[in-house]
Amino acid sequence: MDFHFTDEQLMFKEQVIRFARKEIVPRVQEHDLKGEFDAHAFRRLGDFGILGLHFPEAFGGSDADVVTTVLAGEALGEAGVDGGLTLAYGAHTFLCADTIFAHGTDAQREAYIPKLASGEWIGCMGLTEPGAGSDVASMTTRAEKQGDRYVLNGNKMFITNGPVADVAVVYAKTGKDLKHAGISAFIVEKGTPGFSAGNNLIKMGVRTSHTSELIFEDCSVPEAHLIGQEGGGFLMAMQTVEWDRSALLAPFVGGMTYVLEKCARYARERYQFGRPIAQFQAIKHKLADIKIFVEAARTLCYRIAWCKDQGRPLNHLEAAVAKLFVGDWGLGPANDAMVLFGGYGYCHEYEVERSFRDSRLAPIGGGTSEIQKKIISKLI
Amino acid sequence: MNFDIGETEKNLCDRIKALFTVDGGTDLIHLENDRMEAVRRATLRWTASLGEAGYLAPGVMNGRNSVSLVVMQEALAALAPSLFLSVEVSARIFGRLVAVYGTSEQKDAILSNLTSGKIIGTAALSEQGMNIENEPLATRGVASTEGFRVTGSKSHVVNAPIADWIAVAGTIDGETGTVFFLIEKASEGLFTGDRLATLGYTGAAISPIRLENCPVPSAHVIHPKNESDALKAVRLWEDQVLTAASLGLMRRSFDVAVTYAKTHRSGGKPIIAYQEVGFKLAEMLTLFQTAQLLAYRAAWMSESGDREADALAHCAKVFCAEAAEKIASEALQILGGTGYVLGNPAEAGYRDAKYLQIAGTSTEISRMKIGDAVLGY
Repeated sequence: MDFHFTDEQLMFKEQVIRFARKEIVPRVQEHDLKGEFDAHAFRRLGDFGILGLHFPEAFGGSDADVVTTVLAGEALGEAGVDGGLTLAYGAHTFLCADTIFAHGTDAQREAYIPKLASGEWIGCMGLTEPGAGSDVASMTTRAEKQGDRYVLNGNKMFITNGPVADVAVVYAKTGKDLKHAGISAFIVEKGTPGFSAGNNLIKMGVRTSHTSELIFEDCSVPEAHLIGQEGGGFLMAMQTVEWDRSALLAPFVGGMTYVLEKCARYARERYQFGRPIAQFQAIKHKLADIKIFVEAARTLCYRIAWCKDQGRPLNHLEAAVAKLFVGDWGLGPANDAMVLFGGYGYCHEYEVERSFRDSRLAPIGGGTSEIQKKIISKLI
Repeated sequence: MNFDIGETEKNLCDRIKALFTVDGGTDLIHLENDRMEAVRRATLRWTASLGEAGYLAPGVMNGRNSVSLVVMQEALAALAPSLFLSVEVSARIFGRLVAVYGTSEQKDAILSNLTSGKIIGTAALSEQGMNIENEPLATRGVASTEGFRVTGSKSHVVNAPIADWIAVAGTIDGETGTVFFLIEKASEGLFTGDRLATLGYTGAAISPIRLENCPVPSAHVIHPKNESDALKAVRLWEDQVLTAASLGLMRRSFDVAVTYAKTHRSGGKPIIAYQEVGFKLAEMLTLFQTAQLLAYRAAWMSESGDREADALAHCAKVFCAEAAEKIASEALQILGGTGYVLGNPAEAGYRDAKYLQIAGTSTEISRMKIGDAVLGY
């Protein structure tokens, strides 16, 4: 075993942290308070190369390996970028762009990947429905073949980037009587007749990522917008799970490192009973618990990333373990951080309040903790 | 990066498992609560067998932790928890102390006999009523014509009733730094208390010792150049052994729970099919895998001399020990009445688990150290 990062990877991580601290973090609190998507920051992520990091240079990327890509996500969190922007990045790059890149035709790649890698366009993915969350096979959105086009009808729910996206990867049933095998994936561009996004949902956390319903009413797309083969959609959706459970978790882990640094500083500077609260055992114990979580969670994320770099098929058990741990075991440290700040921690002015709200999504989004337990118990 | 366990480690683990498949079972059952002489014989015999299999090769002579070592320790700790403790305290902790800080004469006299299963050793650190982190040890050696006369008492010394050599941590009168007095069995002034009846690890022989003007020749004193580092190193080794013991306990408890959940039927189906049981197992495996990776990474950091290695070792100790208790508790819950019967691995694991949080650096003190590291204190 070897847990070593290359010097280049570590240098790149430092660069990302410096970039994010300078260009993104100063805007974070204001956007979070207003619940606004920071389009400028998103575009700067593209300019810096983060949005397309793992795509080939020919498509506007940097040919980075998965470990480096995950490291970049961790760095954003560690710099203090909020969970909303990193979620928007994750949905854009991994759930939308990567699906087109991994399963699309050359024409589809050429048409979309450069625009998505640069941040010129924003992407989203439509899988969940109002009545079909964890039970993906029960989706009711249909795509009917009519001549050389597909006509989509149905609704998608809780779609990150929905209100701001220029292009969506949408999953719909092409085989009426088939369950998983009847799901296909399509590219749908903003402005396509019959395609619209609902209002931005007001959420508890990750407020700078905009989330909405996607509505398809006789939305007709050319057959060239089918990704891969008919019926291949479920496997594509499952492959995004690798990203969901490594790169998308990494900013959360990095974010807890950021919170830990904030807590340590506050504990050193906050005096009660004539001494810094850092000198109280109960405070040190909270700091220790956050640190233990960060170190444990970090290794789980990189295991998935490293396996993906080796070209190994996804180990669903390991991915579910990572997702479950980061989601469920991360809530305690996020709470500890807020409590450590006392009344201040309850106020928006302090980042730990935002972090507490953002962390609540981890056991819900990208497959709930209960679904992870179901996967793990089946695979044991 | 590489997250795979190497072939060498896998082969060594297989060799260790094979040792126990052939003739280990009965012997190990007898070890639990057996007479002292039987425990001593078993410890010597298994130290010899494990040494031949290559188990003691890593980490004894250079005192360094490594991923390979933790992987092997985990395998042994899962197979034979009490024996693991006895062998590790003897060959690894006591052995390392001599190998790393001892004189060449001490090494010649002790090391090969120790790792080949001819003698047993132990290290006696803890004293009652004091904070070993901040205060000089109360056990003291006063200079005498033959070397030193040592007086003091130590509690909860693993292997004390069966050891040929005891390395007693103490100070020399008038000095504050820690030295280790190497005291032979049957030395005048060495009194070994009765074997303690313990909640868990009942196959290990644990007792207090008392020293009353015990004569120790100068040649039998380990006087490290940097005394505080030596005591810190021994405590770190102890914590690393306990971390590996936690991994072994988790593996044993998890395996017995899975086997039971797949074979015990209720309502016409195996109980693993019920979410109450299946989800428990999912949480147990999540804790186990997370603990493994954290322990391996801590070992790797120690091996590679990372500046955060000590803090990570404490993180691993806390997480693994607490995860072990949780997993042991859930395993017992899954096995129900079957697991509650004395001798079942589920109940044994449940009893053993608490030791891991108490022994070595307690989870409370470990958290203080982690907190200090975070704060830069």
